[in-house]
Amino acid sequence: MKTKALTLAALLLGTSLAQAQEITIVREVDSNNYDPHKTTSRAASEVLFMLGDTLVSLAPDMQTIEPGIAESWEVSEDGTTYTFQLRDDVAFCDGKPMTADDVVYSMNRWTDPETKSPVAWRAGEVESVTATGPHTVEYKLKAPFSELLYQLTQSFGTIVDQANVEALGDDFGVSGFNGTGPFCWVEWTPRDKMIVERHEAYTWGAPFHENTGPASMQRVTWQIVPEENTRTVAVLTGQSQISQYVPYIALEQLKSAPNVEVVQSDLAFWTYFMGFKIDKDTVSDPAVRRAINLAVDQEAMAEDLFFGVVQPAYSYVSTEALDWNSDLDAQLLGYDPEQANALLDEAGWTRGDDGVREKDGVRLAPTAYVFAGSTWGKISEAVQAYLREIGVDLQIQAFDATVAWGKLATQEFDMFGMSYPYVSSGDALNLYFRSQNMPTPNRMNWNDARTDELLLAGSTAITDEERADSYGQVLEIVHEAAVWLPLYHEPMVIAQSTDLETVVPHNIYGAGLYKGLDLKFRD
Amino acid sequence: MMTQVLNRLIISIPVLFGVLLLGFCLLILVPGDPAIVLAGPTATPEVVEAIRQEMGLDEPVLVQFLSYLGRVLQGDLGRSLISNKTVVSELGAAVVPTLELMVACLIWSIPLGIALGTLAAVFRGRIIDRAIMAVSVAGVSLPIFFICLMMIHFVGVQWRLLPFIGRGGPLWTVEGLRHIALPALSLGAIFIGPVARMTRSSVLEVLKLDHVRTARAKGLSETQVILRHGLRNALIPVVTLVGLQAGYLVGGAVVTESIFSYPGLGRLAVGAILSSDFPLAQGAILILALGFILINMVVDILYALLDPRVQA
Repeated sequence: MKTKALTLAALLLGTSLAQAQEITIVREVDSNNYDPHKTTSRAASEVLFMLGDTLVSLAPDMQTIEPGIAESWEVSEDGTTYTFQLRDDVAFCDGKPMTADDVVYSMNRWTDPETKSPVAWRAGEVESVTATGPHTVEYKLKAPFSELLYQLTQSFGTIVDQANVEALGDDFGVSGFNGTGPFCWVEWTPRDKMIVERHEAYTWGAPFHENTGPASMQRVTWQIVPEENTRTVAVLTGQSQISQYVPYIALEQLKSAPNVEVVQSDLAFWTYFMGFKIDKDTVSDPAVRRAINLAVDQEAMAEDLFFGVVQPAYSYVSTEALDWNSDLDAQLLGYDPEQANALLDEAGWTRGDDGVREKDGVRLAPTAYVFAGSTWGKISEAVQAYLREIGVDLQIQAFDATVAWGKLATQEFDMFGMSYPYVSSGDALNLYFRSQNMPTPNRMNWNDARTDELLLAGSTAITDEERADSYGQVLEIVHEAAVWLPLYHEPMVIAQSTDLETVVPHNIYGAGLYKGLDLKFRD
Repeated sequence: MMTQVLNRLIISIPVLFGVLLLGFCLLILVPGDPAIVLAGPTATPEVVEAIRQEMGLDEPVLVQFLSYLGRVLQGDLGRSLISNKTVVSELGAAVVPTLELMVACLIWSIPLGIALGTLAAVFRGRIIDRAIMAVSVAGVSLPIFFICLMMIHFVGVQWRLLPFIGRGGPLWTVEGLRHIALPALSLGAIFIGPVARMTRSSVLEVLKLDHVRTARAKGLSETQVILRHGLRNALIPVVTLVGLQAGYLVGGAVVTESIFSYPGLGRLAVGAILSSDFPLAQGAILILALGFILINMVVDILYALLDPRVQA
């Protein structure tokens, strides 16, 4: 009896949870589902990249398109027909070989209005997708779409299995998912955990992966831990081996822990900004918007609020992003409060008795809608303090996430706080600056015919130069008009156990671990 | 006894109707639009409208409520807007872990609370009494989240004795026990204080009564007097207290489950409300209310068992 009790106690007190080739990744939130065509959440992308594959892949440099399911591809001269030559050795988790028909089905489902996919636009204006051979797919567009290959690297372009989709119906991506990725679906408990297991037959990883398959990890558990301190100590104590969701305040502690390594990507493709609703009296004057840009010290904010981990942003997309117009580098609005004051004086905004500027009966007190919570709380308060210096009395209204999206769809605010991921300049610009996307996501009401024209030209460009030129011009127009106040670019920061080989952080849609092929315990 | 149970059951019908109505109204009054939440930050107005129609959110409120009521009566609580799983299956998956947590919490905290309270009463005014009362004041006044964080800090991080994330499996497995230990200890800690204090004052009260004096006069040992004649009578108010505290237990479970990422009802309810998942939130509120009614019914029955006067 005593021995039994001792054994039980010993078992209860044993601390090592990590067993060979099994890891737990902790993260903050879960996805609403894991159907690639029916969700926009980052949490879904993180898992879908592991469960499935895309026609083409994006290298960690966020610029180079590399083979995926397609080993090669050709683009017709007019830029409307893409012919993909598929690998012939790809199979789904259930062992069924993947053929051109599966690709055709996946693309058609993605763009079918019946699917009501919120991300259908990312597939371009598709005329037809057909299988011209067992391993050849012809992807025909109504008009050229220069971003197509980049969009096809995202998890929305994941190849799905028709039989699986039809068998599961509404439960597809909820109770199961038969994909061709390096891992296979085991079990999902919403808001708790997602368990995936190694796809033993997987050998078709993109060439930039050191390990092209099968994955080293036998089993991966994505565990939801909403509380950030709990996530941090989970990594510190080895209950989780890796996470990209650790608070910046804990990074120093994590870096100094002997069992934790912090890996950071130099690329930062997730940008935080405040947008101006430019047809509102308070912010319709470009001089006001430029002055606000000049008044805010992004560098100090990055240092003081985010411990120097983030990159201060003066551009609307990372300057490392594809098609960034480097001619603009010198024109970006840095911190210069004196110039900001001079600009407002010049534009006729005079200070009242309380120090707040006015012009033609309009008091310079714009209302900003932001998300409630510590991140936007501290950002907006810092911005408020900076703006006070130039006679702008920023009114902050913070809303809980459940309410915020609804409030942000109104025309009630003058400024709004937002952050977003992107793969390229074109990806970002087409989403936010097209007039047809008013009032969401074009919450600025930026309605400019020239911008629309150039965005169309950029997205239908046939050559890289044409595309870069068009998007470069759009970037110039919107930066010149100061439609946003860029704040910072968030890099991918991953805290991992030193038991693991150092991972290569990826920036695609904020899914830092991408295919999970680098996840490996040290020998 | 049966009549009493039946009475309680009949009374609970309007209560449940009220809960359904309240749950429905609360979520209608909250200014979040689930269609916008579901559609995501980059969705265009057309997409949002399509989702709204699909979910029936464009119908008048009364129509929405009546159709909801009709479905609930048929046992159909709908599907989660977020996971698309049926609400019944989501709740089913979360009920067991929460029940386990409550059992694991009560199984140690109530006996310990009663024992400490009795001990304090027996040694009234002595150092042991003061020490127990000091601990129980701490138990009553410390917020549950603080206790949880301290447990994680010391037991989980400093001493690395127990895991503090998620559920390891059913309660009877080793991993299940290891994972439930910290949440159950934290949640139980808020229980000990009130139980100990109530037991102490109740035992002190009972020990003054005539039948105790008679028992002592009979020559029974002090232990027998306290256990047989004192404690049983003293437990009646303690049972009431435990019944009332069950409400706090549910509230505490919400916090405890969130901090320990424990996949129970409390966390489910919070997650559902935060993500504007109407059907799931309504279902969770309904189940929590049902649980509350059930606990109260059990308390009433326990009364009858402990105090024969109640049966009469």
